[in-house]
Amino acid sequence: MSLKGKAMGLRVWALAILVVVGAGFLVAAEEGPIKLGAVLPLADITGAQGSKAMQLAVDEINAAGGVLGRQLELIIVDDESKAEKGAAAIDKLATVDNVDVFIGGMSSGVHLGELPALKKYERVTVWIGAASSLVEQAVVGLDWYFHIHPWDYLQGASYVEGWAALQAEYPLIKIHKAFWAYEEGAFGTSSYQGSLVAFSNWENVGESFKSALLGGGDYRAVLRHAQEFDPDLFIWVGYAADALPIMEQAAEIGFTPPLFVGSPPGWPADFGTSPLADGVIAYGMWAPSIKDVSPVSQHFWDAYIAKYNEQPATYFAPLGYTNIYVVAEAIARAGTLDKEALITALEATNYASPLGETLTFTPSNLIQHQGFRNQKILQWQNGAQQVLWPFEYATALPAYPFTGP
Amino acid sequence: MRMTRYLPYVLGAALAALFPLFSGAYLEQVAVGMLIYLTLALSWDMLLRSGQLGFGTAGFFGLGSYAAILLFLNVGVHPFVSIAFGGVVAGVVALLVGLAVLRLRGMYFAITTLALAGIFAVVLRNFPGLTGGSEGRMLPNCIYAGNTTKIYWLVLALAVFTIVISEVFERTRIRLALTSIRNDERVAKSSGVNVFKYLVFVFAVTSAIQGLAGGTYAHVFGFVSPEGSFSANFLLLPLAMALLGGVHSTWGPVVGGLVLGALSEYLKLQIPYGHLLVYGAIIVVVTLFLPQGLMGTVRAWWRRSHVTRGAQ
Repeated sequence: MSLKGKAMGLRVWALAILVVVGAGFLVAAEEGPIKLGAVLPLADITGAQGSKAMQLAVDEINAAGGVLGRQLELIIVDDESKAEKGAAAIDKLATVDNVDVFIGGMSSGVHLGELPALKKYERVTVWIGAASSLVEQAVVGLDWYFHIHPWDYLQGASYVEGWAALQAEYPLIKIHKAFWAYEEGAFGTSSYQGSLVAFSNWENVGESFKSALLGGGDYRAVLRHAQEFDPDLFIWVGYAADALPIMEQAAEIGFTPPLFVGSPPGWPADFGTSPLADGVIAYGMWAPSIKDVSPVSQHFWDAYIAKYNEQPATYFAPLGYTNIYVVAEAIARAGTLDKEALITALEATNYASPLGETLTFTPSNLIQHQGFRNQKILQWQNGAQQVLWPFEYATALPAYPFTGP
Repeated sequence: MRMTRYLPYVLGAALAALFPLFSGAYLEQVAVGMLIYLTLALSWDMLLRSGQLGFGTAGFFGLGSYAAILLFLNVGVHPFVSIAFGGVVAGVVALLVGLAVLRLRGMYFAITTLALAGIFAVVLRNFPGLTGGSEGRMLPNCIYAGNTTKIYWLVLALAVFTIVISEVFERTRIRLALTSIRNDERVAKSSGVNVFKYLVFVFAVTSAIQGLAGGTYAHVFGFVSPEGSFSANFLLLPLAMALLGGVHSTWGPVVGGLVLGALSEYLKLQIPYGHLLVYGAIIVVVTLFLPQGLMGTVRAWWRRSHVTRGAQ
């Protein structure tokens, strides 16, 4: 072939490549962004920080070229912590925004109201909230439903394992008697009832209280009852609003059990700065100190602070970030938004999350796609939450016994 | 003449019924929430017309929810029958409670009715075998399998039914009795009005409406729980709607419900982080500067402009 012929051949190839690449871009541009529809309670710290973390993950993925050559678009709708608003949000995301995947979530009560709408559209849903096993019963048999947060009974089982491990590792810690102070609503009562079964080898006594969140706030009677019982472990199951008043009233009556545990879904942002916090044990999926043992958590922590100039204070922040990455990676693996392919790709999830653990989906008691199973046992030490258990993420030794302020 | 008078109502009802033809599932779902709260706002106002400030709205709403769901789950009746049962239970309980608490007046009556939601929730929580305790109960399927258009028509029918009852109250001698009780009970009594009988009657009817709304809501969303079904939202939002629209009339709470419901959803989409602050500020400003509510202000302006025109 002559030089002229070769040059012509190269031009033809270059033109062909340009046409193919250009067509690819045109198709991507025509298809527009991949839409992820999130429903969260934005007036609550869980929803506010969870949604910001989701946007952070979307920005990172888009900066790296997006997914399947397309950008991600995150559309967030506030559920206002009301079931009917949550249902309307699902309808908006499905019919007005035409999202490809539903994500988000926090409260079980709101999610129960959203489920009829989700069942109507049957789109792939990857949910980070709603721990109540009542929700699990409602999503039995839905192959498009993926649940990331541990169900309530999984959390209970996780604590049983954690306390057994801590007692075995640190013989000074001995638990024979436990007192459970629980808020009178579904969250507190079901946690207490589940714990009675889970910790049946302990001598358990429980009493309910009205949470400060719902107009209560006087825990003295319950605390005095606990003081008389003299437990090895005292645990309160309530909300963030109960944290400081309970500690103040316990200090007021001189109640210092060897283990003082709190189990709210989120702690007040400034709880660690109170002298009352030191030595208090907490349950949770994540603590900022996990960044010291997890590079993914460190990256998330730094990126979140750099973008928003505030520290993530609730585990719903790394959970929201995880939510986006799990969906984005599954879409990339599937190579399409086709429902069946996406479900198969999600089933193959293996994501090293900023919460510490690697996320995979396995069957739970009733559903096929359950994500995390464990909670962590944490402790407030010198103003920061440290991880005591699981030992692979431990960032400090337990401070024992609790001595009060 | 008579036909022309009713034309706006017929047109309004037709427009509302045809709403799904020019809206999607999202707007229908928003409308469902608005109509439920509107129904509660109107029923709260119907009692207020007698001068009694009742705070039992959330209590009877929750009671109706539970009664409907428990009958449906345990007996297997048609959802409509169970919703009606929710209304009957709320009405009968209100009748019995009313016989005792309607001897109270003013803040004493208000505080007693405020406690009802808490009392009902505690009672239901303590029968876990029947009510599911703190977790509540769930329906295997929601009414109409979640079809928003059919659900919208169901909730619209409930709202229209409540508007009709309210108009009956407004256009019959019940209005005269309630207004005279509100203005001066002693004068009402001396005019032959059986004050206690009227108060018990209105309390039972409005509570039954709240029970119907509760039963409908439970069937629409498919679950009941002490925290969700007796939420203070079912008292505070209807109250704000009635105050914003204007009390002591049918159309004040209706307008208030529609305006606040639409405003809430619009603000949420425009200001995702902070819409509740703006929403609250608007309610405060309207309450401060339009104490008669939107409808009261419009009526006053209409009256003034007519008087001025007449004088000219």
